[in-house]
Formats: sequence, structure tokens, C-alpha cells
Amino acid sequence: MGLAAIAMVAVLSSCGKVPQAEIDATNAAIEAAQAAEANVYLPVEFTALQDSMSAINAEVEVQKSKLFKKFGPVKEDLASTLALANEVAANVAVKKEEVKKEAEGLLTSIKAVIAENTKLIPKLPRGKEGAEVIEAIKANMTTVQNSAAEAQAAYDKGAFMDALNKIKAANTTANNLNAEIKEVLTKARIRF
Amino acid sequence: MAKYREILIIAASAAALFICLAVIILPRLVPLPPVSEMGNARKILSDALKEKSDRYSAGYFNEAVAFYDSAMICWRTENERFIYSRDYGRVADYAGLSAERAARASETSKITRDSLKNESDLKIKTLEGVVRELNERFFDYPLSPEVRANISRGKFLLTEAVIAFQDGDYLIADNKLTESEYLLATSHELANDNLKRYFRSFPEWKRWADSTISVSRANGDYSIIVDKFSRKVLVYLNGTKQSEYPAELGRNWVGDKRVKGDKATPEGMYKIIRKFNSDSTKYYKALLLDYPNEEDTASFVRAKARGYLPQSAKIGGMIEIHGNGGKGANWTEGCIALTDRGMDSIFNMVKIGTPVTIVGSMYDLRHVLKR
Repeated sequence: MGLAAIAMVAVLSSCGKVPQAEIDATNAAIEAAQAAEANVYLPVEFTALQDSMSAINAEVEVQKSKLFKKFGPVKEDLASTLALANEVAANVAVKKEEVKKEAEGLLTSIKAVIAENTKLIPKLPRGKEGAEVIEAIKANMTTVQNSAAEAQAAYDKGAFMDALNKIKAANTTANNLNAEIKEVLTKARIRF
Repeated sequence: MAKYREILIIAASAAALFICLAVIILPRLVPLPPVSEMGNARKILSDALKEKSDRYSAGYFNEAVAFYDSAMICWRTENERFIYSRDYGRVADYAGLSAERAARASETSKITRDSLKNESDLKIKTLEGVVRELNERFFDYPLSPEVRANISRGKFLLTEAVIAFQDGDYLIADNKLTESEYLLATSHELANDNLKRYFRSFPEWKRWADSTISVSRANGDYSIIVDKFSRKVLVYLNGTKQSEYPAELGRNWVGDKRVKGDKATPEGMYKIIRKFNSDSTKYYKALLLDYPNEEDTASFVRAKARGYLPQSAKIGGMIEIHGNGGKGANWTEGCIALTDRGMDSIFNMVKIGTPVTIVGSMYDLRHVLKR
């Protein structure tokens, strides 16, 4: 009779099997999303994905703790998390492309502003605002050029978000400098 | 046969009863895992992450994550054991510790973020003030290329900090502000120290200027004072200011002239020793000063003897007030340049022997800064 009970427990407790294949597939999809830098470009969505997987891992252990295991709902959760991971991976590619385009646009724009500033600086009156002012403008230009070069290097490495963050400040400074140079030239009645 | 059937029925009933009891009782004997504690820990951890605790309270947050991971490992390990000999006590303990640390991480993160936000806001306003002051006070002040580069880099970092602040990234804003503050504050201090050092000679300048005005009053004649800081040539007659002209100086106009070729405009009490008409100077018209005077020569010889100047150094000369000015920059080799129209006016007023006193400033530093 005792043996029968043990056999029964063994049979009942092995009814549900851990959906290991589904777990592995979902983990792989999450890793793929991370490799695509979802944590950088879509941090909120990626955190939600991690939260979801963490809850599933806990639910797997909940079921494993039970005498009568039931992995059906876990499988459903895994399927939706896998779909979410694939969606995040697809969205990250879109977002990355957007950031890339924005960085590209700002890099092109800053190059044009730097070129214009470089062309205008020799026209500054040596001058109406003083040599020291020209020195200050040149120093600011060097800083902008260095920063633009750093942003370009980040862009070339594929670190588009980093490039975008770097180029934003450089762009603001370059445009301010451009306005400053043009103001000096206008005051001095020099055509540009 | 009937007895055998009876026994069989009893046995089957007993087995059925046993199975029913087993189905009802056995699951109740299985130890229960701390599901709600784990769920709670997970929720608080997730909230902590939303509060950006991983960045603003990394210590507590990482501890919370480590405790949660330990709870999961313990849970898995216990689940490997025979179902009735499992003990989830440690799992619950770790879950509790994780929840406690995550809650602390959230709280600390909020406090740190708010404090960084307020500090950064204040720092941005302060540094914008420093930049404004540097722009106004040292706009055309001769600063070393290194100081100029530091100011430029400091301003750029401030711009980056403002962008990070607007994006709500107070940690990056704070880092950029710290760097910017260092560069701007040291540059500001260097420039201010330089200015203060320069104005230590003010009592002497004042004495020279007062004496020059007195001479004009006593002789009933013209005297000229060159105010380097305000870039003006002031003409006095009978001790009263008659007119003033914008002037341009040597590129390194701050400080006294020390040696030939230093592009500095000398400071001291001089006299006009020659007047050059347009046909004898390339600078429209010129008034040659008696630089170096006795005092200049004595201090030059002293500096050479003490090794402050190389033995090959020369004192220089040919310091003039001349025309061709109006370029807006301090461009001369040490002379004082006026517009040709200004030069015409002064040229007709003065004669050989007219005193020309060159001072750093007619006003003290406080007055200059206020202006």
C-alpha cells in the first residue's frame, strides 16, 4: 500500500515538465535584444522584458515546488515574452536607425557650420573686437572641432547614442559661435 | 467465493479511501515556498529600477539584486530535493533582504536625484555667472592660450551639462559641472589674481597722474595721461580735462614694458622729445617719448643684474603716440596708436617737453570692476 502511495506521488508530481526549450528560446531572444543594445536605445522596454522573464523564472520555481505541477500558464507567459523580446529587438533596430539619422544630420550640420566659421574667422576685423576676441573665438572653435571629431569617432564605431549626446553640445556651441562671428562682422560692416 | 469477493471489495474500498486521503492530505504536507515574499521583492526591485536606483543608488541596488539572485538559487536548490524535505526558510530570508535593500535603494535614489538636481541647478546658475563675468571682464584682456583653452573647454562642458540636465540625467550633468567648475574657477581665479596683481601699482599710478595734472595746473599748459585699462588718452589743460581719445596699445598691454620686443606699453612719467610730421613717420604723425627714462634704465639694469632678464636683452625705445589707430585691437609694438583725426588734435596742442604719463588705470580696481 505504501509503495502504491509513493508511486502515485511520483506519477502525479511528474505530470508537468519544465518547458526548458521555451525558456531557452526566450532567454536567447532577450540576449539578442540586449546584443542589439535594447538597454541603450529602449531602456524602458528592455527593463519590462527583464521583469517579465524574472517573473516567469519565479513561476517556474513555484510550479516546481508543487506536488501537482502545471506549466501551461508559464508556457503562455513564455510565448508572450518571446514575442515581446522579438518586438523589442525589431523596435531597437528602428530606434537605432532614428538615432543614427539624427546624429548623422547633426554631424553634417556641424561640419557645415565649422566650415562656415573657418571661412569667416579670417574676415574678422583684427579688429573691431580685438585680437583677444579672435583668440577666444579660435579657442572655442578648437573645442568644437575636437568634440565633433570625438562624436564622429563614436558614430564610426556604431555608438550612435554616444555620438548624438556628444554632438548636441558641439552643435549648440558651433551655432552660438557662428552667431557671435556674424554679429562681429555685421557690426564691423564686413560682408560675409 | 463470496468471501473472496467480500475481501476484494473491502481491499478496493480501503485502497480507494487511502488514495482519496492521499490526494487530500499529501499536497497539504508539501512545504510552501515564499511566493508572495519573492513577488514582493521583485516588485520593489522593479520600482527601484524605475527610480534609476542602478545609477543613483548603485550600492543598495546591487545588493538587492544579489540577494534576489541568491533567493532564486536557494529556491532552485531546494526544489531539487525530495518534495517533503524542502526548506524555503533561506529563500524567504533572502527575499526579505532583497526587498529591504531595494526599498532603501529607491529611497536613496530619490533623495540623491533630487539633491543632484538642486545642486546642478545651482551650479549651472553659478557657472553661467562666472562665464558672464569672464566674458565681460576679460573680453579683451591678454590671457595665456592655456587659460583661453581652459575657459573654452569649461564653457563647452557647461553646455553639455545643461543638455544632460534638461534630459534629466543629473549624474552626467553633475560630472560635467564638476569638470567645468574646475576649469572655469581656476581660469577665473588666475585671471582675477593677474588683474589684482596688476592693480597693486595703482597707488603709484595715482601719484603719477595727480602729479601730471598738478604740473598742467602749475604751468597753465597741456599734459597728457594715457589710461591703459580704459584705452584712453586724456588731455589736460590748466589741470582740467579738455578731451579724451580712444587709444590702442601693444598686444601685451597689461604690465610694464620690461624688454625690447615684449609688445608691452611702458608705464611711467615721460615727456615728448620729438614731433614727427606725416613726411617723417609711417604712422601718419607721431610724438616720440623719452622712453627709457632714468627710472626705466635703472630697473632694467637691476633686472639684468639679478638674472631676471638675459644678458643679451635690450631695453628698447622709440615709444611714440602715433596715428593709424582705430583698428579696434591692441596691435602696436608698445606704442600708443590714435585715430588720425585724434592725432591731428593732439599734435596741434602739444610741444616738445609736454608731459606724457602712462598709467595702468586712473581708477582703482573696485571702480573698474563696477564699471
